[in-house]
Amino acid sequence: MIRMKNVSKVYRTEHVETHALSSFTVDIAAGEFVAIMGPSGSGKTTFLNVAGLLDTFDQGNYWLDGQDVSRLSDRAMSKLRNEKIGFIFQSFNLIPDLDVFDNVDVPLRYRGLPAKRRRELIEEALAVVGLTARLKHYPAQLSGGQQQRVAVARALVGTPRLILADEPTGNLDSAMANEILDLLERINGAGTTVVMVTHDPELATRAPRQIHVLDGRMLDLAAEAATPLFRPGSTIGGSSLGEHQPAYRG
Amino acid sequence: MLAYHLRIAAKSLRRTPILSALLVAGIALGIAVSTAFVAAYHTMAKDPIPQKSKRLFWVTLDAWDPKRPYNDDQPKDPPEQLTYRDAMALMNSPVPTHKTAMFKTRLTVFPNSRDQRPFRARTRVTYGDFFTLFDVPFQYGAGWGKEADAGPQAVVVLDHGTNEKLFGGRNSVGQPVRIEDRVFTVSGVLAPWFPKPTFFDVMNGAFEEPEEIYVPFRWTPIMKFQTAGNSNGWTSWGNGYEDMLASEGTWIQYWAQLDDARQKEAYQSWIDGYAREQKKQGRFGRPLNNRLFDVQQLLDWEQVVPRSSKTMLVISLLFLVVSAVNLIGILLGKFLARSPEVGVRRALGASRRHVFLQHLLECELVALLGGVVGLVASVPLLHGIDRLARSADDPALYQLELPVLGAGILLALVAGLIAGLYPAWRICRIPPASHLKAQ
Repeated sequence: MIRMKNVSKVYRTEHVETHALSSFTVDIAAGEFVAIMGPSGSGKTTFLNVAGLLDTFDQGNYWLDGQDVSRLSDRAMSKLRNEKIGFIFQSFNLIPDLDVFDNVDVPLRYRGLPAKRRRELIEEALAVVGLTARLKHYPAQLSGGQQQRVAVARALVGTPRLILADEPTGNLDSAMANEILDLLERINGAGTTVVMVTHDPELATRAPRQIHVLDGRMLDLAAEAATPLFRPGSTIGGSSLGEHQPAYRG
Repeated sequence: MLAYHLRIAAKSLRRTPILSALLVAGIALGIAVSTAFVAAYHTMAKDPIPQKSKRLFWVTLDAWDPKRPYNDDQPKDPPEQLTYRDAMALMNSPVPTHKTAMFKTRLTVFPNSRDQRPFRARTRVTYGDFFTLFDVPFQYGAGWGKEADAGPQAVVVLDHGTNEKLFGGRNSVGQPVRIEDRVFTVSGVLAPWFPKPTFFDVMNGAFEEPEEIYVPFRWTPIMKFQTAGNSNGWTSWGNGYEDMLASEGTWIQYWAQLDDARQKEAYQSWIDGYAREQKKQGRFGRPLNNRLFDVQQLLDWEQVVPRSSKTMLVISLLFLVVSAVNLIGILLGKFLARSPEVGVRRALGASRRHVFLQHLLECELVALLGGVVGLVASVPLLHGIDRLARSADDPALYQLELPVLGAGILLALVAGLIAGLYPAWRICRIPPASHLKAQ
């Protein structure tokens, strides 16, 4: 689903160059549920932005669902985002002056579907997250958990092949967080690829595969453990990974 | 999608009502000022008879002083008006579809009612073709025919106001009216009619009200009508009335309807032939310079739209541009404050084009609201300009006509574009990822 090869992304200011991704290589198959972990500033969000075509990259190659997206126009990338990717953000990112129905409607509007079809899809998506009774509520009238469920419905409504979730439980208590994870597991169970950035090792373990990002590079623990390159206590990119579990910050 | 963008734009405006009101007021101010001046300009510059302005020709003959031009500043220009004798000669031409010689005078009208005092009426002395040439609308009856011209018969056409004054607005066709020392019979009553400009006689004020009564031209030598309009001469006007009619003084206006290029060419040839004949008799000492002006050419030649009006129009449009430019900063701030929402929309599939259009439409919605408010505000402003441009007793000169209202809305939309293009472009260029975390 996601195949990146030697992808690099550098943020430049007048005096500083920050290598957010350095020769980043990853392969995520369709239908996988992957947790992306790493300390703050390690490049997790940059990876998610590049994977979600929200940001460009400087070098390397990226195939999304088999399609080379290295040199697409803005219009083509927007279409791909709209049709293939669903986003879930830590702070929900609902539009405050749109009600639940209209918030979930946003991606469908850009797809140009007729009103009747949009209504069907919205009602289906809200049924999945259990919010059909709250169609006319505004985000401010909902709890954090409910808002994130609306965001999940919005990500789901266009039946994407890939869900990118950036700290989807970061602003929720543990009960709500588990609820959202349950939802993501159900979505993944239906065949949708889910890539979730999280700080929470416990939540990450619910994903069958964890990818660790450090200094803009990928450490795929499951894959790397099997290779002689990775040994507990070894140093990669100047950081000690610890014996069993990396020490996370932020 | 357009409806969706408009709905989002309306929501955005409601979200910040004070800021939105400020934006609308900015556009409205520019539109009020510019529309008032556009309306004033339109009154002066518009085609007063679009259905036939290309077929009506003001006829000039250069019978002026051979030693010096009629107009020292424009030495190639012929005199605007004709001598009486030349006008009478031109009335014999069979070429035009319709034609009339005419001039303006003042005659005393004696009302039939003893309660009313006699009054001096603004009078047009003309041929029956006048009413056909200029599509003059009638409320009752009609103008007069060739027989009345030839007679001449004592017939008169009253304007709407004079019929109100003399007959209380009733159908007065066939009623007698004493004018000077003769009794005329009403042949027709005009519907209210005030073409702006009064193109058929720009020599005597392009925005003067049309005359109150109209009488056949051939009464001129009989009743010895004197012109009340502009006149010019380069020789003596003589001592008596007959001398004046035979003089080289120019005071008669002349119009001909020529329906196509061939007819116009034939008529040009006819009047040039007439001038050559006159040369043989010692007149028309200047080079052949007989010209036909269609309505727009006449208005341009006579500079009916003063230069100051054009200047004011340009200044008012510049004021609108400045008003719009002033809004760029406010719109930019408003849009940039919404970057996180734009980031979300971009993540969900909005292209740059979508974002650009949505924000530009928001500007156009502001402009449309500003345009409507501005048009309403332009009414008292135009009234003020109108009061400055005329004396208190004259009827209103400037009005907000439909084309001007349309122009006002169009100007508002252009102002919206000027104000909105850069902010909309800026917001659509923001990388979507840059504000998602900040939301």
